[in-house]
Amino acid sequence: MKFSPPLFEVENLNFERQGNLVLKSATFTVLPGEYCAIIGPNGGGKTTLVRLLLGLEKPTSGSIKLFGVSQNRFKEWNRIGYVPQRSALVDTSFPATAREVVGMGRYSRRGIFGFESSEDKKAIEESMELMGVSDLSDRLIGSLSGGQRQRVMIARALASRPEVLIVDEPNTGVDVESQHRFYELLRRLNRVKNVSILFITHDVGVIAEDISRVLFVNQTLLSSQHPSDMLRCDEISRLYGTPAHLVCHNH
Amino acid sequence: MMLEMFDYPFMQRAFIAGLMIAVLASIGGSFIVLRRYSLLSETLAHVSLVGVAIGLLLGYSPLWMAVLASLVAAWLIEYLRSVHGLYSDSVLAIFLSGSLALAIVIVSLAGSFNASLFSYLFGSILSVTNEDLWVMGIFGTVAMGLLLLFFKELYFIAFDEEVARASGLPVTLLNFMLVSVIALVIALSIRVVGTLLIGALMVIPPVAAIRFGMGFYPTTLLSIAIALVSVIVGLGASYLFSLPSGAAIVLFLLLFFIAALVINRR
Repeated sequence: MKFSPPLFEVENLNFERQGNLVLKSATFTVLPGEYCAIIGPNGGGKTTLVRLLLGLEKPTSGSIKLFGVSQNRFKEWNRIGYVPQRSALVDTSFPATAREVVGMGRYSRRGIFGFESSEDKKAIEESMELMGVSDLSDRLIGSLSGGQRQRVMIARALASRPEVLIVDEPNTGVDVESQHRFYELLRRLNRVKNVSILFITHDVGVIAEDISRVLFVNQTLLSSQHPSDMLRCDEISRLYGTPAHLVCHNH
Repeated sequence: MMLEMFDYPFMQRAFIAGLMIAVLASIGGSFIVLRRYSLLSETLAHVSLVGVAIGLLLGYSPLWMAVLASLVAAWLIEYLRSVHGLYSDSVLAIFLSGSLALAIVIVSLAGSFNASLFSYLFGSILSVTNEDLWVMGIFGTVAMGLLLLFFKELYFIAFDEEVARASGLPVTLLNFMLVSVIALVIALSIRVVGTLLIGALMVIPPVAAIRFGMGFYPTTLLSIAIALVSVIVGLGASYLFSLPSGAAIVLFLLLFFIAALVINRR
């Protein structure tokens, strides 16, 4: 089998915003095929960490490698799919159908002159099917419910056929029932489609036992491949800075 | 009686210029409307007035000078907004009133607040020269080419700038390109529509089209159609009733806007 480098290799990453330390000497690795959760309190730097990985913020110091390539030389951004947190909140009158939004996922693979090829069409249809939004094709994105919109956004990220999917706080404003279905969906993508997943959540309760890695972020970062050890209350208390009571959901 | 107006070369030129501007303004306008950046067109229109004033003062082609002034201002605005992180609406407000002040001072110095300036403010079908058509043809083709080449990228950025950036698109560069194209379109439109009225031709067609709740491609086509019809009818009215062409066009745009609101009551 071909040697595949880690998806993300982060070393000694520091990030300051206007003189305030947001992230302090973060070091971790994420391997291909992982199903990885980033957890921590609100304002602890989870989203910043993801934005740094995606090159949307420039680190103060430290190194980031993507697929074994130093980030400033990395060009193959379509290997990474990104679903930002605020994707649930879209301008309701924006003139875009669900199909058009998913189609955007192919833009980075199409050239300047490129029209939609049959491969583009196939990728779009497949990812819409996978996310169960095929029947919403012609609906305006603003007319969809929060959960449907979320799935359209993930379908868009999947349309570029990424090897890793980064999902920020997927369940803001979504009910518990759909949360569970959502995490099952992510897990299935990971297992069946072999897409590595990195998702952010502030809800420690959702961490299932089959997570391959947990990154705790609260200015400092702890990485562990043994989530059940990490989920001990004293560790979490230390990171959150307050005593925590953990409710475990073992399905 | 209507068709005889096409016998006049000045009307032919006005129509060629007007139709060109209608297509460019409505496509370019879609992107700035969706990015909540509508005031950019208003601001750059005032800036191009500075170019016109300099042109009138020094005896250069006002159209060329308008193109130059508008482009430079567009880059400065985008630079201040994206690099220095100033609020975009306050940057626009500063440029809008600042450039109007500058234009008025220049014109006063020239000592001629004359009829020719009036035509630049409100548009005039009599004013389009052959040289203007050439300038418009060259820059208009460049602007159209850029809009078509990067249509889908600009759409992606308007919808979700952050994800567009994360997917590897050169967003900063494309943003500079978009404001440059907008600057060109506005400067080119001062002959037919006028600096005080071009904002409406950029903003109303997309806003009216969006009310119909369609996807982006049909919305853009409808927006172009609204702009074209308004320009054709407006120029006709301008010919028949000796009205400033820009004002006539904008009034027909307003009718479309009201119709779009009434048809799509929500």
